Amino acid sequence: MSRAILWRSSLRYLLRHPWQTGLSILGIALGVAVVAGIDLANASARRAFALSAESVTGRATHQVIGGPSGLPDGVYRRLRVDARVRPSAPVVDGYVAAPNFPGRTFHLLGIDPLADRSFRGYLGGAGTEPDLAALMARPGAGLLVSQTAQQMRLAPGDTFAIRVGGVRRTISLVGLLEPADEMSRHALESLLVTDIASAQELLGLRGRLSRIDLVVPDGPEGASMLARIRRVLPPGADVVRASERSRVVGEMTRAFDVNLAALSLLALMVGTFMIYNTMTSSVVERRESIGLARALGVTRREIFTLLIAEAGLVGLIGTALGLTLGIVLARGLLRLVTQTINDLYFVLSVREVAITSAALLKVVALGLGATVLASLAPALEATAAPPRAVLSRSTIEARVRRSVPRLAATGLLLLLSGAGLLLVSRTSLALSYTALFALMLGFALLTPGATVLLMLALEPLMGRLFGVLGRMSARSVVQSLSRTSVATAALMISISATVGVGIMVGSFRQTVQRWLEASLTADVYVSSPGVVPSRTDSPLDPALVRALASAPGVASVSTHRGVTVESATGPTRLVALGIASPRYFTFHLKAGTPESVWTAWEGGGAVIVSEPYAYRHGAHVGSSIRLRTDRGEREFAVAGVFYDYASDQGVVAMSRRTYERFWDDRGVSAVAIRAAPGESVEALIAALRRAAPGSPELLIRGNRALREASLEIFDRTFAITAVLRLLATIVAFAGILNALMALQLERAHEVGVLRAHGLTPSQVWGLVTSQTGLIGLCAGVLAIPVGIVLALVLTLVINRRSFGWTLEVEIGAGLLIEALLLAVLAALLAGLPPSAKMARTPPTRALRDE
Amino acid sequence: MSGAPLVEVRGLTKAYTEGDVERVVLRDVDATIGRGELAVLLGRSGSGKSTFLNLISGIDLPTAGEVVIDGTCLTRLSERERTLFRRRHIGFVFQLFNLIPTLTVEENLRLPLELNAVPGDGHRAALALLEMVGLADRAKSFPDRLSGGEQQRIAVVRALAHDPPLILADEPTGNLDLETGRQVLAVLDRLTREAGKTMLMATHSREVIGIADRIFTIDHGRLVESS
Repeated sequence: MSRAILWRSSLRYLLRHPWQTGLSILGIALGVAVVAGIDLANASARRAFALSAESVTGRATHQVIGGPSGLPDGVYRRLRVDARVRPSAPVVDGYVAAPNFPGRTFHLLGIDPLADRSFRGYLGGAGTEPDLAALMARPGAGLLVSQTAQQMRLAPGDTFAIRVGGVRRTISLVGLLEPADEMSRHALESLLVTDIASAQELLGLRGRLSRIDLVVPDGPEGASMLARIRRVLPPGADVVRASERSRVVGEMTRAFDVNLAALSLLALMVGTFMIYNTMTSSVVERRESIGLARALGVTRREIFTLLIAEAGLVGLIGTALGLTLGIVLARGLLRLVTQTINDLYFVLSVREVAITSAALLKVVALGLGATVLASLAPALEATAAPPRAVLSRSTIEARVRRSVPRLAATGLLLLLSGAGLLLVSRTSLALSYTALFALMLGFALLTPGATVLLMLALEPLMGRLFGVLGRMSARSVVQSLSRTSVATAALMISISATVGVGIMVGSFRQTVQRWLEASLTADVYVSSPGVVPSRTDSPLDPALVRALASAPGVASVSTHRGVTVESATGPTRLVALGIASPRYFTFHLKAGTPESVWTAWEGGGAVIVSEPYAYRHGAHVGSSIRLRTDRGEREFAVAGVFYDYASDQGVVAMSRRTYERFWDDRGVSAVAIRAAPGESVEALIAALRRAAPGSPELLIRGNRALREASLEIFDRTFAITAVLRLLATIVAFAGILNALMALQLERAHEVGVLRAHGLTPSQVWGLVTSQTGLIGLCAGVLAIPVGIVLALVLTLVINRRSFGWTLEVEIGAGLLIEALLLAVLAALLAGLPPSAKMARTPPTRALRDE
Repeated sequence: MSGAPLVEVRGLTKAYTEGDVERVVLRDVDATIGRGELAVLLGRSGSGKSTFLNLISGIDLPTAGEVVIDGTCLTRLSERERTLFRRRHIGFVFQLFNLIPTLTVEENLRLPLELNAVPGDGHRAALALLEMVGLADRAKSFPDRLSGGEQQRIAVVRALAHDPPLILADEPTGNLDLETGRQVLAVLDRLTREAGKTMLMATHSREVIGIADRIFTIDHGRLVESS
């Protein structure tokens, strides 16, 4: 049966209320944009990593890997000759920066061009065949993907600089790679291919290989091959599945992704409140039309369907707009996301946003779903209304006030459920965030009751300050509770998110700052600039280390070597420290005492593990961990657990002595230098620079400079949360503007009566503004405890489950006052247009019947 | 006006609970209205006239008693069944707010036709209805452009559009001036009688008595028929 006329009525209603409709669309659009932006940025980074890993891995099914210093290149010969493994290709790889092209990092891939053809096809791609003879014969010769060369304005025959371990080297471009398709071109855009000998030379891995790629068939033949391979491998080497390694590396950013996605959902949640508010307003405004339609025989189901479809239309337009905005936002966020991944996890280059239909569908489902969900209650309310009972405004408001205890009870139930879920959810991030959202929804349902109590408390004060009009303001908030409470809840949620995330980030920063002050006790730190700023992997020249140690003004030198080793649980970050004296053993221990730990560390070959490592792997004092060393697998006793905020993946630390017992690597990634008594830091730095004249790229930083650089990485990491908080606040502002406009327009008749009785326009303005200010005050006051709860959950539960860190919660009064002022200001600003309109409207027009 | 009555109410009682107090609006009302009759329901404001009409139409359910329209006992039907029954069998004219503001005059008339899936050209049918009240030229106007009297005339033809056997009018002239009210009343009387409809009109205006076949009065919850 056609309902065209009813649909037309709905559509015209939306068009006749452009502000309300527009703001609702905007609310959903912004919420969807934030979710889409984050999702697309994360997905693009993941996809870029996966494609890049796949392209670099090529057809290899397995890889032979060694310890931190790789494999001796003799292993390759043994594989081919002794184990008779033909499909195999040696690889030497690492990451290098291009100092003349800021932001450019290359994955340097050294290959044997003859063995590699059956693994990576892009050497013999369609189009130009690179000059393999030149690649093999000329030291420092390299190949780039043609697109990359074009962007760098390079052509075959040109040279360009790279930086490896703080030293500049030159690459001669001898040819271009032409991958078969666009996807491969993107995946390989940061690839720099050289001959294996050049790579060994450039990366300081003479006589070593990073890995050997293999193609192992399935079934018994493959099993037999693997057995033969394992028989010829030296201790400390192993053969692993190629895809597994990529997967494990890709998983490193999972917690980061989940947390960002959850924060983005907050913006959508606020947008959902807006839809709820708009739908409620439209149902109330159309109560007579709905009642009439019901009297004429339109069924409840038809009314319900109509209202849901209406909301769906708004949601559809909002989602479409949001998707477009989201793609634009993703481009900006991608830079921040990629920067964080590069700062903290691994090298990744992502040039553009990857838009997949799966990602789009997900966002569309979220946007529409949120809209429909938010519209359910008002639509059900509309169908519950008896036809032509003509629910007067006062009847509706009386009903809402009667439902306040029920809402509060439901809110409390949600709070208890959320708290319970936090307790039982153990390590699950998804459940933790579900619990968090339950808590926030619970607080939102408590808002009407809290608003009533707050206004009751404020009414006498408002009366004393502003007389009858003051009392009216406070009472009118309660009288229009069906509107004001939703607007207050939306603003409260947004402000509390600002408070919560602000406290969390602030606490985190304070904790990191204290940890840096306690841990970094040397005067000067020297390292080569790594491509992942939070890690120093590139070894320093041994001669350089000796020169630095004997520079004038140096009292003592401690060495630091950071590597990744294999373990039963996958790649493990290992730090080997040559600490000159127990006085300089400045780990802030969570478990174990400095004395017992030092004894086990230096004398007993024990290790200490960072808090995130202990959390992820269940390690504790007295347990042991298994690591693959150059002497085979070994167990190391855990003597202590230390606080460490440099890596959420976790770190195992051991003494240099222990490291050299089990690994052949003698590299030093960084040194920590203590100045002789009376020597200033500046003078020491100058002396160190003089001791290393050929190494201008070396990072020689004083204690304070290193701490500042570390905090800079921290601030960059959280820049993205600041963007999200801002967007959520904008959505809430749009929501409260929407609610206040609808509310004030409804009060037109009442204001007309007041004007007829002699109220001046400025008094009207004052009345309306004070009401909106009270709404803002209410939202701000409620946002503070809610924000603190949110902060505690984020800091003590979610952060712990995501990363394993212990953070000291610090609640600054400044942030709370700021939040309160923000809430009041947002409400006052949102109240300006409707209050100006009300003040300007002549009484005659306001009093005229519809 | 012969045969079985169109409307029968038996022992109709309606009470509302307001806080701790129970307010009985209608008390054990019995009545019948024959086919083609114009019955008028008098009573002062708040006496229960609208409540009585809501119970007759199935919009509301009584606390006790039965309502039978054209052989169908409304009080035994589900809410959905009552709605669908009302859609087909009853036309309404209210005191205020008869027309949906976001529909044109023509669309307001076509709404009951669409709801009842009446075949044929809805546009032509709507225009024909408007001709009956001299407002064919206002077909494309929205209700807010019409005077009160014009809106009520359109409400009258809208109530008849889907050819229901029963018309319920709740204070149809209550919001109009005397002269306009008389005009609307005349239109209502003429069109319902011409179509052979049964009408029950609630009003506090004594002017209507002159056109009524039967007069009922509600007083203290009881229905009394006057001669």
